[in-house]
Amino acid sequence: MTRYILRRSLEMLATLIVASFLVFVVCEFSPGNVARKTLGAFALQEQVDLLYKKLHLNDPLLVRYVRWVGVLTGLQADPLQDPALGLDFKDPRGKQYFGNFGYSTLFKAPVNDVLWDRLGKTALLAGLAFAVIVPLSLILGVLAGMRAGSVLDRSLSTLSIVMTSIPEFALGVLLVAVFVVALGWLPGTSPMVGNTGWSTASQLVLPVAVLAIYDSGYVARMVRTSMAEVMQKPYVRTAVLKGLPRRQVILRHALRNAMIAPFTVLLLQINWLISGVVVTELVFAYPGFGRMLLEASLFGDVSLIEAATLVALFVATATQLLSDVGYRLLDPQARR
Amino acid sequence: MSDESKMPHLDKLRTQLADGRMNRRDFARFATLLGITAPAAMKMAGLAPVSRARAASMPMGGTLRVGTRVKDLKTPHTYSWGGYDSNVSRQVVEYLTFTDADNITHPYLAEGWSVSPDLKTWTLNIRKGVKWRNGHDFTADDVVWNLKQLTDAAVGSSFVGLVKGYLLKEVKGTDGKTTTVLWDANAIEKVDDHTVRLNCKEPQVSVPEHLFHYPAAMMYPDEKGIFQPGSQGTGPFELVQADTGKIAVLRKVKSYWGQPAYLDSIEQVDTGDDPAAAIAALASRQLHGLIFADPVQYDALKAMPHLKLYQVRSAETIVMRFKETEKPFDDARVRRAMKLALDPQPILEVALRGIGIAGDHTHCSPAQPDTKPITPMGYHPDEAKKLLAEAGHPNGIDVTLYVPNDLPWGVAQAQAAAEQWKKVGIRVKLNVMPGAQYWDVWTKVPFGSTIWYHRPLAMMVMGLAYRSGVPWNESSYSNPKFDEILTRAEGTLDMAQRRDLLGQLEEIMHEDGPIAQPLFRNNFTFYDKVVLGASIHPSNYFFGSKLALEKA
Repeated sequence: MTRYILRRSLEMLATLIVASFLVFVVCEFSPGNVARKTLGAFALQEQVDLLYKKLHLNDPLLVRYVRWVGVLTGLQADPLQDPALGLDFKDPRGKQYFGNFGYSTLFKAPVNDVLWDRLGKTALLAGLAFAVIVPLSLILGVLAGMRAGSVLDRSLSTLSIVMTSIPEFALGVLLVAVFVVALGWLPGTSPMVGNTGWSTASQLVLPVAVLAIYDSGYVARMVRTSMAEVMQKPYVRTAVLKGLPRRQVILRHALRNAMIAPFTVLLLQINWLISGVVVTELVFAYPGFGRMLLEASLFGDVSLIEAATLVALFVATATQLLSDVGYRLLDPQARR
Repeated sequence: MSDESKMPHLDKLRTQLADGRMNRRDFARFATLLGITAPAAMKMAGLAPVSRARAASMPMGGTLRVGTRVKDLKTPHTYSWGGYDSNVSRQVVEYLTFTDADNITHPYLAEGWSVSPDLKTWTLNIRKGVKWRNGHDFTADDVVWNLKQLTDAAVGSSFVGLVKGYLLKEVKGTDGKTTTVLWDANAIEKVDDHTVRLNCKEPQVSVPEHLFHYPAAMMYPDEKGIFQPGSQGTGPFELVQADTGKIAVLRKVKSYWGQPAYLDSIEQVDTGDDPAAAIAALASRQLHGLIFADPVQYDALKAMPHLKLYQVRSAETIVMRFKETEKPFDDARVRRAMKLALDPQPILEVALRGIGIAGDHTHCSPAQPDTKPITPMGYHPDEAKKLLAEAGHPNGIDVTLYVPNDLPWGVAQAQAAAEQWKKVGIRVKLNVMPGAQYWDVWTKVPFGSTIWYHRPLAMMVMGLAYRSGVPWNESSYSNPKFDEILTRAEGTLDMAQRRDLLGQLEEIMHEDGPIAQPLFRNNFTFYDKVVLGASIHPSNYFFGSKLALEKA
């Protein structure tokens, strides 16, 4: 198992390196350049050309990529923080340190200042949503799957399909119309600042609800399918035939086996909850990672896009690794 | 302000008022520009003076939360979003003058000014007793430093476009490219600690209004043009927090030189690009109002009983401009055909739901007092087809219009216009792109859709956008005759003559101009009824010190 984890970790590192290069290449073909974005849309072309030259932006792509890696690994200083440029870009951590993602041209701040704050906010949102999604989808899925084809199954399946079919933005607007405009029970946006007459906890209710409703329907369908399949297995039939109470059959014999496939699906939801909740963050003006990534992409903030992509990829590959390891632990057959 | 007896042009204005060539409000406007106090000018014009007195009943205290976009705030002299970035900084760093919603300019950090008979020498009297927050006096040295920064081509301020005609001259830079420098070493002159003189190469009547252009904030020289939390200012608030894309927090300055603000603090909260988010925030009273609202928000906000609408006529517009140096727009017949092929009224209905007025492709609005009413171009699709054929395009043309997606009404305008152009064989492909990407290329694309905010005078817009070689001349328009008339208009006090000159510019815009511009919008916003003293400025400027919150 240790060797397996080691091998997968190395694969993960290789994926991150390749992806970082690909993102660098893609950004190369987007309009505008770092010098223009740094100085603003109305800086004179001569100023832009001068900064372009000073930053060596006309070097070949590969050279610039290696330089970016050098800054990230702390082998060289961030060129944007050179006082000679007169940009007043300062990072309290210094110009040269491991994990230096550079300077955000959109936020005019070190990427590390922007990134981790936004990621923390999204992690909070994701954590709360996940805490709702897991029990809700398990309850719905197990209840539906244990009596496949029954009225309860059909009702819950329909409910799950409806939940997952409503797009996030539509669900967001619907919930705002009901709980904000009509009833006045909840705040309509989640800027996560206090002193708005609404607690930050209350600001989280609607975005969490949107994510939970949207995602629980999907996961519940997976759980239901797995549960229904397990309920057809001979060992479950045997347990029933030998007279075990139904509750015991489900809890002791069916449930654990039915959880193997949904376990992977559930862990993959973490990845979606971290980097895929752009719409929800936009609808509720939530200052999170997804909205930041969208804004950075639209602006063409290469440093921030690179950093955010690496974080998103790390989350994706780490959750995959975790789910694979968990899968092997849960299912002895997979270990062979 | 200066002694009236020193106002050489006042008699001329009085004559124009008496013989009906100038209305009373325009008289008040121009008299204040020449150095008469606003109350005195209003009295001379027979208008009820605008009460500047503070309502004694306005409650003190509280935190006002307003929705907006919180942009990068670092360099006010190069700001390009007056309705966003300058609305944070203007609470901290102030201006020499103040132009109100009626286009009347008042003293601010300059307590008065006077102008020579030839309109070339402007003397600014800097207000005494104004201090930076660190206790240092605000003096003529600070003004001179700021004005030199603003006019330094290397800084890259749009202020250059406004003053190029009378304060700057073109020279060849070391790289052989054309740049601008002050036309004379003494163009910006410190007379004494509280007097600054502008020695202009051409007559200019709008200097006080130019000094209210949003990048022209007076910054603390030692901070070298950088604005951030804790930055010095002379204003009623201090910036204590600025998180781009999140929030800007301003706290009241107790030692303010003027009337202290009513509010303890102001939070400008970023509501993102989704207009629905701001609606939801107002519905749940997380925000007290919006600095300005978008037409797509109008119906939803109007339906909320706790909100009050504030609206003002403005010269804000989105021009669909042609790069004069690019084919097929290098042919004036093509440019004219594209204007004649547009019927403004339906576009106004589609893009703004009628909240505005039809434009006439001149970028001169009826909201601006120097605009001359001329015969509109009208909607003439047959003539447009004929012009296209004459220009060598009998089968029409295929062009791409670049449109930023951050202004829904701009996208709607482009879609409606494209449909109308299609009828005369002008096939316009829309390239709707993220706003941030558009602002990277707005001066480069052959055919682009660009927002222009309100300016109090039409000739200010002409100077910023269409004078040869200025930074914001996105269409690369260059017409010596246009430049010459514009410079003459800028130095003409006689209102009738000035309007005539503007009329000539408008005719040039019809015949030769580089824009199709079918509408002007009304600016509007909504505030909670608990907000007292609210209003909207035609430039979407926000003045936090005038607002108060009703006690619960």
